[in-house]
Amino acid sequence: MIELQGIKKVFRMGSQSLEALKGVSLKIEKGEFISIMGPSGSGKSTLMNIIGCLDTPTAGEYVLDSDRVAGLSFDQLAAVRNRKIGFVFQNFNLLPYATAWENVELPLLFDGKNARKRKERVTEILKAIGLYDWREHRPSELSGGQQQRIALARALANDPPILLADEPTGNLDSRSGEEIMDILTELWKEGRTIVMVTHNDRISARSQRIVRLFDGLVLP
Amino acid sequence: MNLTLPRFFWNEFRKRRKKAALITFALFWGTLSILLLLAFGQGLTIQFRVSFSGLGETLIMITGGQASLTFEGLPKGRPIRLYREDIAYLRERIPEALRIVPESYNNWQVSAGGKEVNRAVHGTTAEFALMRTQVSQMGGRFINVDDNAQGRKVAFIGWNVAKDLFETEDPVGNEIVINRVPFTVIGVLKKKLQDSMYQGPDADQIYLPFSSFLMIDSQREIDRIHIQPQGPEQSKLVEERVRVLLGRKYRFDAADRYALGVWNTIEDSKEGLAIFKGIEIFLGIIGGLTLLIGAVGVTNLMYAVVKERTKEIGIKLAIGARRRIIIQQFILETMFIFAKGTFWGFIAAFNIVHLIRLIPVNYESFGIEAYLLRPVFSLRIFVAYVIILGVLVFLSGIFPALRASRSNPVESLRYE
Repeated sequence: MIELQGIKKVFRMGSQSLEALKGVSLKIEKGEFISIMGPSGSGKSTLMNIIGCLDTPTAGEYVLDSDRVAGLSFDQLAAVRNRKIGFVFQNFNLLPYATAWENVELPLLFDGKNARKRKERVTEILKAIGLYDWREHRPSELSGGQQQRIALARALANDPPILLADEPTGNLDSRSGEEIMDILTELWKEGRTIVMVTHNDRISARSQRIVRLFDGLVLP
Repeated sequence: MNLTLPRFFWNEFRKRRKKAALITFALFWGTLSILLLLAFGQGLTIQFRVSFSGLGETLIMITGGQASLTFEGLPKGRPIRLYREDIAYLRERIPEALRIVPESYNNWQVSAGGKEVNRAVHGTTAEFALMRTQVSQMGGRFINVDDNAQGRKVAFIGWNVAKDLFETEDPVGNEIVINRVPFTVIGVLKKKLQDSMYQGPDADQIYLPFSSFLMIDSQREIDRIHIQPQGPEQSKLVEERVRVLLGRKYRFDAADRYALGVWNTIEDSKEGLAIFKGIEIFLGIIGGLTLLIGAVGVTNLMYAVVKERTKEIGIKLAIGARRRIIIQQFILETMFIFAKGTFWGFIAAFNIVHLIRLIPVNYESFGIEAYLLRPVFSLRIFVAYVIILGVLVFLSGIFPALRASRSNPVESLRYE
C-alpha cells in the first residue's frame, strides 16, 4: 500500500542546506499498524509529511496504492489527502472559530458531499466517538482529550484507509492518551492502516511494528 | 449551481466579521465620501442649469442699439430701434427659429387694496412663458392666446409683487390698477432660482397680454425681441440671420456689433456649463484616485488577513482543500466585505443627501446655499461606482487569495 524507495529530503535555507532524509526505504502493507520512533531531528515528521502527501521528496520514489505520488499535481495531492489519508496532529489543529460539528464536516465539504450525506456521516461519527452532545462547542470549550477525539473524527470523516498520527497523545494526560490509543487500536482492527510517530515506548508497544529513524536513515 | 461552499464561506465570514470590521469600515467610508462628493458636484451643475434656465433656456434676446460703422453712405451713431412689425418680418424669414416673441415694458404705479408700488410692467404673448420659464403657482396661469386676441385686462405677477400688494392673501381673481387701468390677476409666478436678468428678477415683474399693454402704452417701438431657435446648435446661425435681416431693413452693417444688442444665452450657458463640467470631471478624478487608494488599502489589509490565517489555510490544505477552494474563499470574503461596506455607505450617503435637501433654500438671495444644499443622488453614478469599485476590490482580493492558495501546507501548519 505504501512503498518508499530511497527517499531523500533536502531543506535549503539560503546558502545552507539540511538533509533531513538521506535515503529512506520503507514498505507498509495494507492494514498494518506501525510506529515511527527516533530522537528529535531524526526526520520522523519529515517522513510523516511525505507519507501524508503534505510534502514531496527531493529524490526517491513514493508509491501510494500503486500511484506514483511524484506525478500528482497540487490538487491531485489534495484529493489524496482528502479521501485516502486522515491526519491526527499532536496539537489537534482544529479550526478555532468553528464548532466541533463544522470541524468534522470540513473534509466532507471539500469532497463535495451533499448536505444530507454530510449530516448523516457527521452524526454517525460524532456518536461513535461519544461527542455528539458537544457538537455545537468550539475547540476552546473542549478538553484536550475531547479536542483530539474531534480531530480523530475529522480524520475519519471521509473513511480513509490510512490514518497518520503525529504524536497523537503528546499533548494529553495519560487517561485521555489511553482513550485515543484505544480508538486507534480499534480502527486498526477494523482494517485501517495506521502510521504513528511517537517518542513514547508504551504507546508504540500498541503497534505491530516499530520503525526507528536516526539521522535521516532507517535503522536496520 | 452548488451553493454549499459559498454558504460555508459565508458562515465562516460571519464568525470572523469582527476581524474584517476595519476593511468593511474603510469601504463604507470610501463609498460615503465618494458618493457625497459626486452628489454635491452633480447638484452644483444642476443648480447652475436651473438658475440659468430661470431666465430662459435656449434664448436669444435682441434689443435696439446704435450703428458704430458707416453703411451705404449713412453715418455712424444712428440709433437702431425695433418695431412691432419686425416680429412678423423675422418670423417669415427665419425658419430655424421656433418662437419669436415681442416684449415691451414701462415703469408704472401699481396699486391694489390701498397699497401702491412702482413696478416694471411688461406686454408680451403666451409663448413668452415657455421661453422665459414663467410657471404659475397652483390655481393660476400665465397669459394665453385668447387673452391677447381679445385684449383681456388680465395680469400675471411676480411673487414679490403679490407679497407687496396682497401680503398673505391669494391675489388670483383680485384686481390691480396699473396706470389707472384695472386688471385682474390670473396667476402668480412660482418661485424659482434665477441668476440672470435684465429688468430685475422676475419676482418683481408684472406681465400683461401684449394687446392690452398697447392700450396703456401705444408706442410702435418694442423694447425686446425674444427668439428661441429650433435647437441650441442653431443659435449662432439664427443670431447671424437676425443681424443680416434687420441690417438690411434698417440699413446697418451686419458685422456692426453695436447696431443691435444681442444676448445669446445659449453661448453664455455653454461657457458656464463647461466650467461646471470641468468641476464635475475634477471631482470624478478625485473620486477615482480615492478609489485607487482604497483598493490598495484593501489589498494590504487582505494580505494581512491571509498572513493571520496561515495556520487555518494549512489545516484546510492538509485535510484536502483544493487550490480553488482557498482562492474562492478569500475572493468571496473580499466580495462580502465589499458588499457590506458599499451597502451601508450607499444607505448613509442616500440619507445624508436627502436630509440636506430638506434644508430650505432662499431662492431670492442667490446665496451659495442654493447651489450647495441641493446635492443630487444619481443611481447611474452609484451603479458606475459599484462596478468600478467591485472590479478594483476583486483585483485587490485576488492577489492575496492566490498567495494563500500557493501556501506550503507543512510550513502553514507550523505557523503560529
